Amino acid sequence: MNNKVYALSDAIAKFVKSGDHVCFGGFTTNRKPYAAVSEILRQGQKDFIVEAGPAGGDWDMLIGEGRVKAYINCYTANSGVTNVSRRFRSAIEKGELLFEDYSQDVSMLMLHAASLGLPYLPVSLMLGSGLTDKWGISKEVRKTIEKLPDDKFVYVENPFNPGEKIVAVPVPRLDLAIIHAQKASPDGTVSIEGDEFHDIDIAVAAKRVIITCEELVSNEEIRKIPSLNSIPSFCVDAVVHAPYGAHPSQCYNYYDYDNAFLKVYDVASKTEEAFDAFVKEWAYDTGSHEAYLNKLGAMRLIKLKVVPGLGYSKDMSKEANK
Amino acid sequence: MADYTNYTNKEMQAVTIAAQIKDGQIVIVGTGLPLIGASLAKRVFAPSCSLIVESGLMDCAPIEVPRSVGDCRFMAHCSTQWPNIRFVGFEINEWLHDNDRLIAFIGGAQIDAYGNVNSTSIGDYYKPKTRFTGSGGANGIATYSNTIIMMQHQKRRFMDKIDYVTSPGWIDGPGGREKKGLPGNRGPVMVVTDRGIMKFDEKTKRMYLAGYYPTSSPEDIIENTGFDIDVSRAVAMEAPSQEVIRVMREEIDPGHAFI
Repeated sequence: MNNKVYALSDAIAKFVKSGDHVCFGGFTTNRKPYAAVSEILRQGQKDFIVEAGPAGGDWDMLIGEGRVKAYINCYTANSGVTNVSRRFRSAIEKGELLFEDYSQDVSMLMLHAASLGLPYLPVSLMLGSGLTDKWGISKEVRKTIEKLPDDKFVYVENPFNPGEKIVAVPVPRLDLAIIHAQKASPDGTVSIEGDEFHDIDIAVAAKRVIITCEELVSNEEIRKIPSLNSIPSFCVDAVVHAPYGAHPSQCYNYYDYDNAFLKVYDVASKTEEAFDAFVKEWAYDTGSHEAYLNKLGAMRLIKLKVVPGLGYSKDMSKEANK
Repeated sequence: MADYTNYTNKEMQAVTIAAQIKDGQIVIVGTGLPLIGASLAKRVFAPSCSLIVESGLMDCAPIEVPRSVGDCRFMAHCSTQWPNIRFVGFEINEWLHDNDRLIAFIGGAQIDAYGNVNSTSIGDYYKPKTRFTGSGGANGIATYSNTIIMMQHQKRRFMDKIDYVTSPGWIDGPGGREKKGLPGNRGPVMVVTDRGIMKFDEKTKRMYLAGYYPTSSPEDIIENTGFDIDVSRAVAMEAPSQEVIRVMREEIDPGHAFI
């Protein structure tokens, strides 16, 4: 078996290329690959064509740092902390971001269609709404971007029910997927605990796949209960051991979101100056994921650990005194 | 003892939506007030209702209030952890099977008289005055499920013409949904605000005032609605019971995440 274990910096350097058509796993504030995002910020890759899915601070930081060429949006916010991610919002309000809107359902179905290898996808969604009335990226502009299809969608007639108007959407061809998982083994087998979200779809659909994981376990160990596994080794190019690699987002069975940190980001991302200072402090100046964790501190991370049975962090000593 | 008589309009809004949920219904909730309302319904008004979220987590029973629909607070306390695509498929199949179990809560920044909702952007779409998250699950939900729309009741939000339709309502009146290819037997059922309940006329599909809170009045509603609204059918609503307020404050959202 190949050993696919890389240091974070080596995996990002080898498998992330400027101009990639890319999708991250996770959901707004859950299992987002933040360690990889920080490393991309440090290394400088840019011009990404982004299938953002349910995004949050992950893509907000890359937008804020000018690394995104085209952003396919369905929802961008650290839910419960901010109504809308603020660098995303600011970039659109200033007319500085090329963006397209789909509904979340259609975005997720498009990624699923990509995993199935479908040529296009017919849906009866987005009808009668701005999602079909307006194109964020015009046909003319789309023609200048090789990795985007020329059309946001095309109305077609249902061949099995003449007269029924349906929406045919294109299927993205992903260069790169980055997913943070609970466990992986050196051969590239991956076990995602809790909701898989769209992560298995993008692992199949993308040409290159980087997995960052909480625990790197042996090839023998991960095969003991195959029903717990999500992605076979063949789909994976690099495995990176990055404990707390989803911080400040959640990781099911491991740790909760760092709400205080998310609030700090929310305030910082309100202005360009404060945002610049934030990414300088937490991404550029830390230099590595290990240094980032040390800067956060052991006690802070320990407090985020989930309480077994609850699924989130809570000070049980206070609970007992009630 | 704590005082449970001095409720806020936000609490009244949560109690109002809770009272709309019926036993046996499957409630599509987001976070925020709809979740508080649905949790309250499960405890008090409709114990056999079930909660699902657009991330794909099914039959949720959170202990602590979740902040996101993908929150581990939902994930650790649900029956099935589906990906979003299964949620979408389930929702559409409920419609295909002619089941009437689903009821959904959505919100937005702007709404028109036919219940079309904007949660995408204010002003010019390409260079907006204010940009929001985008659709999330709302567009699919408004397409295939009956919805209860949660809004802050202000003139600048209740408008004749909204800037962008994220979630289609009754479009422009009778037959409007069918013309667009949307299921005609699904659509917005009511709008619940911090001032009262609006419903949609069966014939015209236009919004009318059905009920107003003890802190509001038909005049107050007219003044804060940016289009003509019929208030002739409006009834005065009763204040919530102290017990309901107690359950909401002490058991459902003791950390005051949303109330």
